[in-house]
Amino acid sequence: MTKTEFTNLVLPFKDKLYRLAKRILVSQDEAEDAVQEVFLKLWRGKEKIANYKSPEAFAITMTKNYCLDRLKSKQASNLKIVHSNYQTSENIEKNIEANDGVEMVFKIMETLPEQQKIVLQLRDVEQFEFSEIAKMLDSNETAIRVALSRARKTVRDTMIKKYNYGIS
Amino acid sequence: MESVKIEKLLDAYFEGATSLSEEKVLRDYFNNEMVADHLVQYKPIFIGLKAAKEERSTKEIELPENHSKINKTWWYSIAAMLIVALGVAGFYFSQPQYTQEEKEALVAFEKSKDAMLFLSENLNKGAERLTFVDQFEITKDKIFE
Repeated sequence: MTKTEFTNLVLPFKDKLYRLAKRILVSQDEAEDAVQEVFLKLWRGKEKIANYKSPEAFAITMTKNYCLDRLKSKQASNLKIVHSNYQTSENIEKNIEANDGVEMVFKIMETLPEQQKIVLQLRDVEQFEFSEIAKMLDSNETAIRVALSRARKTVRDTMIKKYNYGIS
Repeated sequence: MESVKIEKLLDAYFEGATSLSEEKVLRDYFNNEMVADHLVQYKPIFIGLKAAKEERSTKEIELPENHSKINKTWWYSIAAMLIVALGVAGFYFSQPQYTQEEKEALVAFEKSKDAMLFLSENLNKGAERLTFVDQFEITKDKIFE
């Protein structure tokens, strides 16, 4: 497999991996590093990549595992990933945060447990089918639905609480 | 879109029971149309989820060249071998060169030198003893005079 073939294969889902990594790690820099690392691993195992039914799903699983490992090692060494996402010009999240309580939604999403965060990201942002998500996370559809429902409800309840608080 | 239908979809949504197409209906409703007053509190969620998909990675992916690592180590070993070979050769050629014949001649020369030395030593010893012969001559002359 040549470099061009590889790039054509993996570039379409680069942004998806980045968004997932950022959802888990919060920091932009950490997320970019995670994506780079995952692509390096895919590149090294590029002979095998053709054997996978969906390279995208495989890459998402890799990204998820890598990011969770990264979090674990940071916690183990008692470090928190500090994010310094300063450049607001390129940051669409930031631009929209100006309206409404969208900023609040992102904040609440940051506080969700990792698994719920990942499920919410894959379903509500990237719009994957439950069966696909179950495969990516090595889980079953029922568990995914439960996690998703919890995540959505947490976002809703926390939001409404803050929303009402803001009004009254 | 009547808000009753949206309410139903919302209930199903929070139970995790909506399909992808139903979720799209919700997203479109909250992102585009005029949202009913009592549903406006859900608006940020769907605007946020849609906005979250717009984010792009800005860093280029860097991939190493094919087998570049292996190539490099290969060159390193060649270079190391060349240096060692040159060193050994340099040392070897800086020594004086003798052919086989010359070497044999050298050995023979050393041997004959030893032999000569040995011979001359013993000759000297013998020569010392000859002084007694001279003494005999002198005494004989005294007697027969």
